[in-house]
Amino acid sequence: MGKKECIAMLLAGGQGSRLGALTRSIAKPGVSFGGKFRIIDFSLSNCANSEIDTVGVLTQYRPYQLHNYIGSGAAWNLDARNGGVSILPPYATESGGSWYAGTADAIYRNLDYIAAHNPEYVLILSGDHLYRMDYRKMLEDHIAHDADLTVSYLTVPWEDAHRFGILLTDENGYITEFAEKSPNPRSNQASMGVYIFSAHVLIEALVADAANAESEHDFGKDIIPMLLADGRRLLAHHFDGFWKDVGTIASFHETNMQLLGHEPEFDLYKPGWPIMSNSPTRPPHYVGPKGQVEDAIVANGSMVLGKVSHSVLSTDAYVAEDAEVIDSVLLPRARVEAGARVVRAIIGEDSVIKEGAVVGTGDATKDIAVVGNMVVIEGSR
Amino acid sequence: MERAIGIITTNYSSVNPSELTASRPAASVPVIGRFRMVDFMLSSMVNSGIRTVGMILPYKYRSLVDHISRLKDWSLDRKQGGLFFLPGTAFGSTRSDARFLIRDLLDNEVILEKAHEPYVVLAAANIIMNIDLGQVIEAHAASDAEVTMVCSEAKEADEALLNLKLDDGRVRGVSFGVEEKDVAFLDCCVMSVNSLRGFLAAYKAEDYLDLFEAMAADMGRLDVRPYFFDGEALPVFSLQAYYRNNMKLLDEGMLQEIFNNDRPIQTKAQDIPPAKYEAGSKVKRSIVSGGCQIAGTVEDSLLSRLVIVEPGAVVRRSIILQSCVIGAGAHIEDAIIDKDNVIPAGTEMKGTPEAIFLYGKGSAF
Repeated sequence: MGKKECIAMLLAGGQGSRLGALTRSIAKPGVSFGGKFRIIDFSLSNCANSEIDTVGVLTQYRPYQLHNYIGSGAAWNLDARNGGVSILPPYATESGGSWYAGTADAIYRNLDYIAAHNPEYVLILSGDHLYRMDYRKMLEDHIAHDADLTVSYLTVPWEDAHRFGILLTDENGYITEFAEKSPNPRSNQASMGVYIFSAHVLIEALVADAANAESEHDFGKDIIPMLLADGRRLLAHHFDGFWKDVGTIASFHETNMQLLGHEPEFDLYKPGWPIMSNSPTRPPHYVGPKGQVEDAIVANGSMVLGKVSHSVLSTDAYVAEDAEVIDSVLLPRARVEAGARVVRAIIGEDSVIKEGAVVGTGDATKDIAVVGNMVVIEGSR
Repeated sequence: MERAIGIITTNYSSVNPSELTASRPAASVPVIGRFRMVDFMLSSMVNSGIRTVGMILPYKYRSLVDHISRLKDWSLDRKQGGLFFLPGTAFGSTRSDARFLIRDLLDNEVILEKAHEPYVVLAAANIIMNIDLGQVIEAHAASDAEVTMVCSEAKEADEALLNLKLDDGRVRGVSFGVEEKDVAFLDCCVMSVNSLRGFLAAYKAEDYLDLFEAMAADMGRLDVRPYFFDGEALPVFSLQAYYRNNMKLLDEGMLQEIFNNDRPIQTKAQDIPPAKYEAGSKVKRSIVSGGCQIAGTVEDSLLSRLVIVEPGAVVRRSIILQSCVIGAGAHIEDAIIDKDNVIPAGTEMKGTPEAIFLYGKGSAF
């Protein structure tokens, strides 16, 4: 196989346990988002749009639907002959088998995949982040500074800084300190979990880390501090676009809502950086004679016969006459039947809200209501 | 199921040539938001288990090939079989009623020669319908018929359709043009590959004719039988029928009939976000495609992909094709706006239900 300049390793094995019912049957990167997309579409599209044609996708938790969705990678133009998408789940060897113990361990156990492509650089990504990013700019930065590792960061509000890996930099943009999820963050420069390694540095670091019994085998907690302690050149690369890790139900709901309105910050309609997806081919959506739709995103195949306001309706969602959907997200094939009312809620894939049922409340002090996938909520009669 | 190959002809013009068909073949006219006419027959074939399809192309094939060329969307990217683009004769048929030009079939007889399948479904591409061809093939195979012609009772007069004269369960005569309640041929038939080759050899001298036109004189001795299709079939051969049949889809029941979930109609997949409604949008009884952004009023209308309806704009009883912008405060009624048009703010563009206003592709306003 020919030598690649840069390949990507996309971490998609996490459960996303804080998304509760939404990730009971599918890994977080496979969760539906924004009407027709799934979360992993954003990272895969970023790779394709950045002309990275070789992507290893590391899976572990509930992988079937995710594997099925990624398929050959053709939906993202990632089915090139010399490269393309490879799905990399944990596997057994002659000495036995075990689950991936951490992000670094997952990559370590696929060093033969990296070796097969023999790249100069390896881009490490998460499959559960929402953003549009040209990785080529980061790679140019990495090469121009002759860095060993480049960490992409964005500036976050100070009150959120404790949730991230926080980095401190010197006047030349090199990282001097890195602390993962510190209760007392010393800056608000937050790592996005997007790394570019010079391949030989990555391989050496992973081998050393694998031999360290104390390590949790995590990039943020173990690998980056180790490289800093070794005096390696760690560059910080600033990203100033929209980026979001939808870790919780509240942020999943909020980020869907951020797609609404005229020219929002996270604007899917801005041309030039298409978000590709493997969504099914469905007819355009239909709004019925009594339908009312305002301030909403509605995907193909949907039927809106009732009222929809400030909401996101995914592929093949159905809102019956006299039903109301307000401030909510309906995932693919969710049905809201006649007279039912859904307010500040997320309704899972294939779930049915039966006639007259009420889900959620307009009370903003209450949590967002969540109905998991394939659930039937009966109405009270 | 008995196995068949498919042949779709697209090398013909439309009855009332309009600006809509000036730049594209009748088979690639955009319809019901994101679809093209050819999607219905091509999907029906694929959904019926047909894995080899030959498509006889028109002279102006660019838009059609562009639409079909990502064969994966139709599962026709096969190592054996799949879709074959077949050349149509130069300039094809200038007639709209000759959909199965013998010369086109003769020129491409190689696809019949190479077929391992016993049957062939021969169809054109200008009727909106979702038909289970497996049933037609089985009915044909179970009968002694040489040809089985799919038909239905005409719901309205249509000069482009072939009229079948039936007697005792056999087709005894064909003529062009149907009146309401006549038996109309739905441009789709089944026969054995050998029968079709036999017909082509027999009518070689009249290769400028439509196959059924040539067969008309022999209907007395041939065993040609009708197959009545009981689903919806909406022929689109004129601007009037185009408008009327698009509008018929503005009905939940009709949509569920044509877009039957068990037999999905495929089309070119595109990476565009879902439709977005902004504050103040008022939309009723309409079909809206992906990538649309609507801030105005849309009623009884069909919007193709990436249409922008600005605040205060009103669209009623109209078909707006891909990538048009309806400027703030503009009023569009009883109109068809072809793709890539920007209608300036405040413009009024109104036809009447009797005389639909057609605004051509990328017209300079």
